[in-house]
Amino acid sequence: MAVPVSQMYTVATYVLAQKLKGVKRYPLVLMLEPLFRCNLACAGCGKIQYPDHVLDKRLTPEQCWAAVEECAAPMVSIPGGEPLIHPEMAEIVRGLVERKKYVYLCTNAILLERKLDEYQPSKYLTFSVHMDGLQEEHDLAVCRDGVYDVAVKAIREALRRGFRVTTNTTLFDDANVERVRRFFDEMMAVGVEGMMISPGYSYQKAPDQKNFLKRNRTRDLFARLLSERNRGWRFNQSPLFLEFLMGKRDYQCTPWGNPTYNIFGWQKPCYLLQDGYVKTFQELLEQTEWDQYGTGRNEKCADCMVHCGYEPSAVEDTFGSWSGFGRTVKATLLPNAR
Amino acid sequence: MTDSKQHGPEAQSLEGRIFRPANPKELAEAVEQAFDYRGDITLALASGATIEGYLFNRTPTGSRPFLQMFPKGQSGERMIEYADIVSIAFSGKDTASGKSWESWVEKKESQRRVEAEQAAAEAKARGHL
Repeated sequence: MAVPVSQMYTVATYVLAQKLKGVKRYPLVLMLEPLFRCNLACAGCGKIQYPDHVLDKRLTPEQCWAAVEECAAPMVSIPGGEPLIHPEMAEIVRGLVERKKYVYLCTNAILLERKLDEYQPSKYLTFSVHMDGLQEEHDLAVCRDGVYDVAVKAIREALRRGFRVTTNTTLFDDANVERVRRFFDEMMAVGVEGMMISPGYSYQKAPDQKNFLKRNRTRDLFARLLSERNRGWRFNQSPLFLEFLMGKRDYQCTPWGNPTYNIFGWQKPCYLLQDGYVKTFQELLEQTEWDQYGTGRNEKCADCMVHCGYEPSAVEDTFGSWSGFGRTVKATLLPNAR
Repeated sequence: MTDSKQHGPEAQSLEGRIFRPANPKELAEAVEQAFDYRGDITLALASGATIEGYLFNRTPTGSRPFLQMFPKGQSGERMIEYADIVSIAFSGKDTASGKSWESWVEKKESQRRVEAEQAAAEAKARGHL
C-alpha cells in the first residue's frame, strides 16, 4: 500500500465531511510555494524565471501556517523553487506537522542529505523527490550532471533514517516508455514508498505548441507506460487519476482542489496558470470565474491533464458515489484489468 | 515538480521596449503585457516620479483600476492606479527569454556546459549547493 491508512482515512473523512456539509468547492492539497529561488536552472522551467529581488523573497513560517489554517486542506505540498534553500523550512514543516497536515516537501534532493538532521521522521512528512527518469534523462532534464546520483544517495539515507520518501516525475512527449518503466523498477528497488507521475504542462507563454503533449498523445503515452504494469510498482496518487491519464475515463478540471499560495498571494485560478492574485482564500473561491477554466473552456487549459487539476477530480469521483468508490477499489486491486 | 515547462519557439521578448499608451484601452493592454513579463519594468507616473520593480498583479476592473508591484530594493509592495501611469518601460532583463527547452537542446554541448557551470557557481556562491 503506497499511502498509509491513516492518511487515506483523513482524506476520506475530510472529503465526506465536505459532501455532507454541501460544500461545492473544497481544497484537497494546498500548494504552498514559500520561495521561487532554486539551486538548479532546469531548461524551460516556468517557475523560477524572476528578477533576483523577487527570487530573494520568501514566505515566513507564520505566513505559511496562516495560509494552511485559512484554506484547511488536509494535505500540503511544498514545491518551489527549492524548498530546502529556505532557511526556515524545518520550522515551517514542524508547524505543519503539529497541525496534523500531511506534508509533501518537493525537493531536487541536492541538499536533502545535508539537511536531514533538521527534520524528524513522521507519518505526516514525506520528502517527494523530483526524479525525471533514469540517470541520463534526469541529468539532462535538470541541466546538471551528477544530480541523479546525489538524489538517489539522499533518498537511501532518508529511507534509512525512517522518513517517508516518494518520487515525483513529469513526463513530456520525448519520454521513452521502456526506459521510464525501467526507472519505475529502479525507484521501487531503491525502496521509495510510492511514485507520483504527471504529464507536463506547456508554459503558457510558448506560442508554438508543437511539442506540447496533446491529449491523445498523453493518453497514448500513459497507456503504454501503465498497461501490464509491474505488480511491484506503487503510485502515491489516485488510481482513477492514473486511469484518466491512460484514457480510460474523462474528467473536467477541479482547479480549486489544489489552490496555490506564494509570495504574491493566492493564485488565480490554479497552480499552473497565473491570471492574478487575491489576498485571502475566500476571495480566491468567490472571485475566481471558475467556469472559464478547464478543458473546452479556455485555450490555456485545452490539453492540460496535470495532476493539480485532475487528481482532485478523480478523488471527487471516488467519493461522489458508490460506483465511483467501486471503480477505485477495482483500479487499486486490479490495475491491469481492461 | 517541474510541471510547467516552456516549450516551443519563443515569442520575441519585450525587453527594452517602452509603451506610452494614448488611451485607457492601450494602457490596459500594456499593463497586461507587463503582467506577463518576467522581468522588472519601470513606470513613469504623471507626478514625474518613476518606479522600477516587478509587476505581479493587476486589477483592471472597477472604477479605479490598479496594479501591484514589488519595487526593486524595497521590502513591501506598492499599488499604482492605472490613471497615474504615463509610460511602461520593459527595463529589466527578461528572465524567461532564451530559457525554453528547445533553446537548451539546440545549444552546442560546450555552451550548455558553460551555462550549467555558471548556474552551479551562482547557486554555490549563495550557499545553496
